[in-house]
Amino acid sequence: MEALLFNVDGGFLEGTVRGYKAGILTQSHYANLTQCENLEDFRTQLSATDYGNFLANEPLPISTATIADKATQILVDQFKYLRNNAVEPLSKFLDYITYAYMIDNVILLITGTLHERDTHELIERCHPLGVFESMPALCVASNVEELFQSVLVETPLAPYFRDCLSASDLDDLNIEIIRNTVYKAYLEDFYAYCGSLGGPTADVMQRILSFEADRRTVNITINSFNTELSKDERARLFPAIGRLFPEGNNQLAKADEIDQVRSVCENVGEYRQFFADAGSSSNGPNDEDSGILSQLEDRFFQTEVHLNKMAFLQQFQYGVFYAYMKLKEQEIRNITWIAECIAQNAKDRIQDFIPIF
Amino acid sequence: MSDDYPSLLRSEQMSLVQLFVPTEVAHDTVAELGELGNVQFKDLNPNVNPFQRSFVGEIRRVDEMGRRVRFFSTQIEQEKDVVPIRPLYDSAPLIAVGPRAPQAMDELDVTLAAHEQRLTQMNETYQKLSERTKELIEARHVLRETAVFFDKAQDHQTDIRTSFDDSSAPLLQHDDRENQYSVGTGVQFDLEFVAGTIERVRVPTFERVLWRVLRGNLYMNHTDIVEPFVDPVTGAETRKNVFIIFAHGDALLAKIRKVAESMGATLYPIDANADKRSESLREVEGRLEDLQNVLYNTGSSRRTELTKIGESLRSWQDVVRKEKLIYETLNLFNFDVRRKTLIAEGWVPTRDITTIQLALRHATEESGTSVPPILHELRTQKTPPTFNRTNKFTEGFQTIMDSYGVASYQEVNPGLFAVITFPFLFAVMFGDIGHGFIIFVAALYMILAERKLARVDLGEIMGQFFYGRYIILLMGLFSMYTGLMYNDIFSKSLHIWHSAWDFPSNTTDTKLVGIDNGHRYSFGLDPGWHGADNNLVFVNSYKMKMSVVLGVIHMTFALCLQFPNHLKFKRPIDIYANFIPQMIFLQSIFGYLVICILYKWSVDWSNATTQPPSLLNMLISMFLSPGKVDPSEQLYAGQPFVQVVLLLLAAICVPWLLITKPYLAWKDMHKIKEQGYVSISGEGDGNGIHRNSSDEVLEGEEEGNGRDIAEDGDNGEHEQHDFGEVVIHQVIHTIEFCLGCISHTASYLRLWALSLAHAQLSEVLWSMTLEAWLEPNGVFDWIVLIVMGVFWFVLTVFILCLMEGLSAFLHALRLHWVEANSKHFEGGGYAFTPLTFANPDSKE
Repeated sequence: MEALLFNVDGGFLEGTVRGYKAGILTQSHYANLTQCENLEDFRTQLSATDYGNFLANEPLPISTATIADKATQILVDQFKYLRNNAVEPLSKFLDYITYAYMIDNVILLITGTLHERDTHELIERCHPLGVFESMPALCVASNVEELFQSVLVETPLAPYFRDCLSASDLDDLNIEIIRNTVYKAYLEDFYAYCGSLGGPTADVMQRILSFEADRRTVNITINSFNTELSKDERARLFPAIGRLFPEGNNQLAKADEIDQVRSVCENVGEYRQFFADAGSSSNGPNDEDSGILSQLEDRFFQTEVHLNKMAFLQQFQYGVFYAYMKLKEQEIRNITWIAECIAQNAKDRIQDFIPIF
Repeated sequence: MSDDYPSLLRSEQMSLVQLFVPTEVAHDTVAELGELGNVQFKDLNPNVNPFQRSFVGEIRRVDEMGRRVRFFSTQIEQEKDVVPIRPLYDSAPLIAVGPRAPQAMDELDVTLAAHEQRLTQMNETYQKLSERTKELIEARHVLRETAVFFDKAQDHQTDIRTSFDDSSAPLLQHDDRENQYSVGTGVQFDLEFVAGTIERVRVPTFERVLWRVLRGNLYMNHTDIVEPFVDPVTGAETRKNVFIIFAHGDALLAKIRKVAESMGATLYPIDANADKRSESLREVEGRLEDLQNVLYNTGSSRRTELTKIGESLRSWQDVVRKEKLIYETLNLFNFDVRRKTLIAEGWVPTRDITTIQLALRHATEESGTSVPPILHELRTQKTPPTFNRTNKFTEGFQTIMDSYGVASYQEVNPGLFAVITFPFLFAVMFGDIGHGFIIFVAALYMILAERKLARVDLGEIMGQFFYGRYIILLMGLFSMYTGLMYNDIFSKSLHIWHSAWDFPSNTTDTKLVGIDNGHRYSFGLDPGWHGADNNLVFVNSYKMKMSVVLGVIHMTFALCLQFPNHLKFKRPIDIYANFIPQMIFLQSIFGYLVICILYKWSVDWSNATTQPPSLLNMLISMFLSPGKVDPSEQLYAGQPFVQVVLLLLAAICVPWLLITKPYLAWKDMHKIKEQGYVSISGEGDGNGIHRNSSDEVLEGEEEGNGRDIAEDGDNGEHEQHDFGEVVIHQVIHTIEFCLGCISHTASYLRLWALSLAHAQLSEVLWSMTLEAWLEPNGVFDWIVLIVMGVFWFVLTVFILCLMEGLSAFLHALRLHWVEANSKHFEGGGYAFTPLTFANPDSKE
């Protein structure tokens, strides 16, 4: 059925996004980029790719922040082009993608206000895809209730915030709880929406979102060790989707140390290698933990990239749009990392990016 | 052949040359060659990263200069009053070659940097000042608008005062400060308020957010500021609103301030006191005046700076563009560090080698050194690029053929024949004297005004017409000719000679029958047919047959073009195995049809004993029931026998075409094997070259650069004759040709269809607009006639000339690309892209 009617509305945009995807940097591009001596070389090298002359009009010297900004701007422009040409239900799907950025922006603003940063500076740091009209007013609010009533009530995020209205004061822990609760609600909602779209979109997207949920669950668990977060509260932050749900989530909710997390993850085939060969380099308990964590983070990213790449193997589905955004974000992280390494002359760590193709 | 005058028949003979350029003259040499524009350099370091090449530093410097120049030109473009830019041909040339060139470049670099710095500084100052001005203007607006508002409120207050008791306090009054107010002019407002400006688009959101944050405890008023604010840097306009918000309580006011600031509003301290307000208004106006003076001065000095830049901007752009090209080319060269020479390889037209030698000498003299670059020819097995020398007349036609595919090196170039066949086939479809004349005149105008138009940017669509002006000219001419043949001028007919038909005028019959009066109309279609009932039947049959005849002639001609190719490339087998059977096949079926058509035209059927036969049925039954012809439809005596012979001929051609070439290839292979040779993979043809060029290799090795040439030999194309490939290729070729003959002949019927459609359309247009009003009585009819005439002419130009013309153009294009080119064109070449500075398209 998708094959019959998908192209009526989605064919052009799917073609466009697949064309964009063809411009994602490959291994050989990265090989060239990592050989650069300075950022000017870096610019020359990037101008031979799909990025083209995006840095041509920047005065020297170029900062890595400019590179990241300009690269993000390209992505944002592409996304806006897709969004403006989309019709229901793709437009709604694309909106869902922006909600994640909105949540990030909201949390960024609240945290910034809490630490009394300059509002304008904060707004500049917000991701352009997550900007909404009344966003600047967020910095007025001093508690969640007010936050919700004054600003968020008219945004699409409103339903996600309903669950966390109980948390009264805004402090770092509460903000973290809010972030996770909201994100949980968002993931579940997006998951349900993809399910309602049905067909291959549901297949592909639910696979990606399940992983995303599991990643959050594991991260929350690990980060909540030795904090004042109670186990009950922790359990409430876990998204009710994903491959670890429900029994894995229950066990994680009770976990006290990283070995328990490992045993839970080993129940799922794909997650088994996350903790594999982690224990080999153990000098002390703290060193080991941080080693495992950074390694875990990398493996999460790798799996995410892998899943997103898989999304392109199926046609007639919206997963490609989500996957493209995520892959491109990873690519921007990669080139920023390489640029940073070049700028700070840290050549030994320059290979620590996550190749996409 | 290379010694002849350059011809379009075959592409230029090319030579691979090697240049040894001493580093000192390298830049000037490339500059000179770029001006000359006939060397295509090869990349000699394909494995080197772009940023690891020898001249990256220079390229980067030029890039930086380019960025500055771009910055200037955007600044000039954004300037509201037009800053004059002196065109390139008017400005003094910057010397970028010769011994002083590096110094000149350094100077230019410094100049550009200085200009940029000054300009940025001025921009900053200007921006800062305009920012201040903007603020002051906004402040003035806020003061004025709030004054209006306060005045109004005061009126209201007095209204209220007269109608209510003192005890019922007015709305804008607050109890605990009531004692402060006094009736009269000095009304005090004891509600605190916030005033400022905000962008108009944000007003609704602002209101909404405030309302929610303060839970409705506010009174807000806002008015539009009429004039827009213009950003000095980007030139973008923003429109703003003045707002004033009343609320009570410090907490609320703080919240309002915070929201306002985060929403991008600017707040201004306004005093509630009217006197103080007018005082500050005066102050603001005074400061504004001062600022505007300063701003004006800054602006004018910035403008002076821009004007100065504008004078030499074009030549800077030119120099930067050229320098960048030069260094990019130099990066393609091989750098020999020991000898400080650059080694370049490239294709040049053999004919131009002497010119290039001269240019090289000139470059040496210019740069003031005594070491000239050395040029020598290399022998190679590689296929050279295809380069057809065109002039402004043939350029268009050549482009038509090149956009289908670039001809193989030294192949017969269909572009030459397209000069005549293309406009002719177009004209067969477009035949009308009037329409042809219109496009002829349009093309003639473009050609006469060529010099003027070439300099103007015509835009994409007009530019294309201008590019094809000579094609259009010939198309117009040929259309006039075919129009004469069809006797069509705006769907009417010309009556030049005596018609062969008389229509009796004195009969009472409703149907007039023409009587042959013995005259013959000497050229084109007899006007007697015009308006006759059976006109369409006659013209239809005539045009259909004509298009088949033309088609077969065109295809036969295209097929014949194979012949010189086979001769030139020394492939006698292809003549026997491809050309001859193809020719026989085509002629025995469709050539026969053409002869029948011509024969049928020549017979006077009114006196013949048999009915005129249908040629289409004849052709079909020739295949379906060979050897049998219905005597009542026989065209000539002995027809069955001739047809059987022809059919057999055609039938023999198919296996001939299919088998001969693979068989010969197989025999060849067999012979080589029997002689005991075994092909070593990858060395088949390479050996020969090694032997040929061994002298050069040795020489080269002595010179210390043997690598390039040796690589050349190895990289040469080894044509591994794979037997299976030959078979498959030949099978496909045979099927394609035999089926193609049929479908292509049918395809030429588009000539008939389009010319008919064109004639009918122009007739419909005539009869529906002008015809009814041609005999005007009275003023009204005259007016209608004029209106209709204009209407008719506009439609003629746009629908009949432009739209129909484009469609006929398209079909003529297809007939050339598909029907004719498939008969002979190999099109496996790659175009010659020399380094040249003359590139008007790139506007950097």
